[in-house]
Amino acid sequence: MPEQHPFRQFLLLAFALLLPCFAVWSAASAWLAIPAIGFTNMILTGWLPDFVAGVYVQGSKALLVTQFGELDGRLVPANQAGDTIAYLLDHRILSYSMPFYTALHFATPGEKRPGSFFVGLVVLYALLVTGMVSLSLKDMMVNLGTQFLQHPTAAVPPANLIALVYQFNVLILPTLAPVLLWAWQSRNTPLLQQMIEPLTREGTP
Amino acid sequence: MARFVTVFLVIMVGLFSLEMMKPVQDHLVVPFTGLLASLSAALITPFDSSVTAYGKVLQFTDSGFAVSIEAGCNGIEATIVLIAAVIAFPAPWKTRLAAITLGFLAVQTLNLARIITLFYLGNWNIDVFTWVHLYLWPALIMLDVLIVFLVYLRYLATDTAKAANA
Repeated sequence: MPEQHPFRQFLLLAFALLLPCFAVWSAASAWLAIPAIGFTNMILTGWLPDFVAGVYVQGSKALLVTQFGELDGRLVPANQAGDTIAYLLDHRILSYSMPFYTALHFATPGEKRPGSFFVGLVVLYALLVTGMVSLSLKDMMVNLGTQFLQHPTAAVPPANLIALVYQFNVLILPTLAPVLLWAWQSRNTPLLQQMIEPLTREGTP
Repeated sequence: MARFVTVFLVIMVGLFSLEMMKPVQDHLVVPFTGLLASLSAALITPFDSSVTAYGKVLQFTDSGFAVSIEAGCNGIEATIVLIAAVIAFPAPWKTRLAAITLGFLAVQTLNLARIITLFYLGNWNIDVFTWVHLYLWPALIMLDVLIVFLVYLRYLATDTAKAANA
């Protein structure tokens, strides 16, 4: 029987699968994000109706349309300005977690729980929505400034919290979440079982 | 396992919060980012006379294309994830410190490769540059962190097996 090298196999397959997975995602990312844009629209228009008129699909990106416009260099309500300020959101800086996770998942030798791949995708999709909300909050904080942060009635989070949540949800989670999900789902595979043995011994006398 | 996950998350959130503090940015992150830019320039300029560097900017003298190496391009976030994972995993402290040092070098070596490849890609095609910069390289850097950590775990497992057989 040939000797098994799960680590070597994982390395080779992970690199081999990465580019094809990213290529498929790249082609599909615009329509893949449509439901996430819908959820983001629902959350933001429900939570911050004084600021967000809607979040829409705009080509391969999302468009965050605010309730503001610009008149003589000042921010005023959109109906007074006659135009509307909107920001383009690149959802792909969040959704690339999916091809990354896909490559890791299918590169791992051994049996995994049935359906675990789809569970992983659902978790990443939920993170895509929270990431888009975080991205929108950051854009409004940076561009609308005090009008956004010091609104008397709207429940706008403090600037430091928006910055922290943005850093975590947009800059860190898209790469970290796939790895954590993969590690959890692969903990019983031959690749990880032997390596994480000290953790499974924890708590035993 | 639960203890590992908890310690990992606590250390990671702590280090990320520390990284965001202004004194840490001013005295560590910004100078380190500048050092990376100088290192990238030092690696490129002996082989390519059409490249010039000033501060944290690398520029082609013929096309004018330039990249500025900013915070977020310095691999610090990836290093923080590695540090948190290594510290959270039970092992002798000497081994953990060696893993962090070697892991840091591995991440930064790949990060230098990332900066240099992006610089040349950007000069060739800005769309490809954007795609590789924003989507592909972050995944590759995190894959590097994962591989370094798995190599470390393999080393620990082999070491433990050797000690048991001795």
